[in-house]
Amino acid sequence: MTTTSAGTSPGRRRKKKESDAIGYLFMLPNLIIYGIFVFIPTLCTIFYSFTNFDLFNWKFVGLSNYSKIFKDSFFMKAIGNTLLYAAGTIFISMAIGLLLAVLLNAFVPGRKLFRPLFYLPNTISVIAACMAWLYIYNPNTGILNYLLKLFGGTPQSWLLDVKLSLLCIMVMGIWSTLGYNMIVFTSGLQGIPEYLYEAARIDGAGAWVQFTRITMPMLAPTTFFLFVMAVINSFQVFGQVYTMTNGGPMNATTTIVHQIYMNGFEGYKMGYASSQAVFLLVITTLVTLLTFRYGDRGGDADMA
Amino acid sequence: MKHTRAYNAGRWLTFAGVLLLCLLVIFPVYIIFSTAFKTPPELTMAEFSLLPKSFSLENFRVAMSKGDWPRYFFNSVLVTVVTVVGSIFFNTLCGYSLARLSFRGRKVILMLFIMGIMIPPQSYIIPQFIILRSVPLMGGNDILGQGGIGLLNSYAGLIIPFLSGSFGVFLSRQFYLTFPKDLDEAARIDGCSKFGIYTRIYMPLSGSLFATLTILKFVATWNDFFYPLIITNSKDMYTVQLGLQIFRGVSGTEWNILMAATLITILPVLVVFACAQKYFIKGIATTGLKA
Repeated sequence: MTTTSAGTSPGRRRKKKESDAIGYLFMLPNLIIYGIFVFIPTLCTIFYSFTNFDLFNWKFVGLSNYSKIFKDSFFMKAIGNTLLYAAGTIFISMAIGLLLAVLLNAFVPGRKLFRPLFYLPNTISVIAACMAWLYIYNPNTGILNYLLKLFGGTPQSWLLDVKLSLLCIMVMGIWSTLGYNMIVFTSGLQGIPEYLYEAARIDGAGAWVQFTRITMPMLAPTTFFLFVMAVINSFQVFGQVYTMTNGGPMNATTTIVHQIYMNGFEGYKMGYASSQAVFLLVITTLVTLLTFRYGDRGGDADMA
Repeated sequence: MKHTRAYNAGRWLTFAGVLLLCLLVIFPVYIIFSTAFKTPPELTMAEFSLLPKSFSLENFRVAMSKGDWPRYFFNSVLVTVVTVVGSIFFNTLCGYSLARLSFRGRKVILMLFIMGIMIPPQSYIIPQFIILRSVPLMGGNDILGQGGIGLLNSYAGLIIPFLSGSFGVFLSRQFYLTFPKDLDEAARIDGCSKFGIYTRIYMPLSGSLFATLTILKFVATWNDFFYPLIITNSKDMYTVQLGLQIFRGVSGTEWNILMAATLITILPVLVVFACAQKYFIKGIATTGLKA
């Protein structure tokens, strides 16, 4: 049925009612791959989490995995470390990113050169970055201890020090994400209409007042979005932990994903690891729901 | 507006601050470059210097002779190229369907893909591993998918799951939503099929979308570590990221050799970034996401 009622453009009206069943065919490869490698596995993870699956046999164990993970001192340590990592990197990285975005947008010559250079750490692989930082942090030959000695400080053992190792990984985290924050803030800044600043200037507002009264509120959706993405990404930290410390020393740097990997692929406790994966999934889902609930108020940087 | 002296002083002070921060940020990357050319004595603290004494390629030769590097590169290049080309075709076609065709369940499918962007891959890696292991008739498996390793440790296993990417689908949809609908209309009147509209009208106009997707997918695939770590179990299937791990010996690391290898593995990404950084920035600025 494609009857057209009164309208200015009957052709367009008709098209809307048509069903392009061929679209299913176009999406078939994506839907199959998505189904087999994302959707079903996600459901399976939830299923496995109620079993003691060990790669060969399984039986239902009810909720016992869940009661175990919250008594598992390694996993609790991992959650604590992951939260510490998130708290220690997100705000600093976003603050530096915002500062750079504002300065480069308004103020500084050479921004065309600066922007890609600040973004550079984000393009090289986590593993390559780890190799550079491993060398910097190395207690015997590392540059950090060299500089410390040069200025009369005491050399530290950095990644091998229980108190410092997580901090070391956090510094690397800030380093690798600030350029990304800068780029997204920059695109947010460029969406702020210039007349707002002109009006403020006519009213005699200085740079600081303009920043706090115009820039900050107008960037609120961007800021919120970046924050949520940063939380999600922080909960997935693995490569740097695996490569730099393998969770040590004394589990000072183990993270949620590191625990999933260790239990699932080193210990083959797949059921148990799955319950930890479900924990990760639930946290991420909660954060994502928050994005959709509160994220589209300004609507320039959010998803849809 | 006439700039006062104080304004100019502030401007240069800011410039100096930004420059300093920039040097700090670049420093670890610079370390990879300089260490890659150093000789072992130069690695000791007593001899520390920012620049290597000579630019000999000896370290690179040694690095490439440890482990089967031609093989790691071949693996990385093959996996990356096939993944990039395949995913671009599938994802843009899917994005076009979601943006321009009307069929039942379109909203639900779109929501599924948006979900796919948000779900951490680590949360479903265990069943993904099991599913790949149980592909029937592959890797020594019987028809029920038992007995062998399936698609684990194979190119197909490294490539197929990434031929569809929620991010690519979503980016393509957003891109095609901005196309004027008159284009479809005109093509339809000329008797073009839906697929024809995509290949003849949309694809030729998708230059910047394709560039953005290519670059983001290239970097994501080339740099991926977690997935190949899980899926491969023999050295002949290693990608370059896994290959780097072999330099971390128990008896201490030869930093100059390791950095030489690291430099080679990041070189392709650096070259692409240098040539096409505006597409990196564009992809991230429009969606706020990386591939």
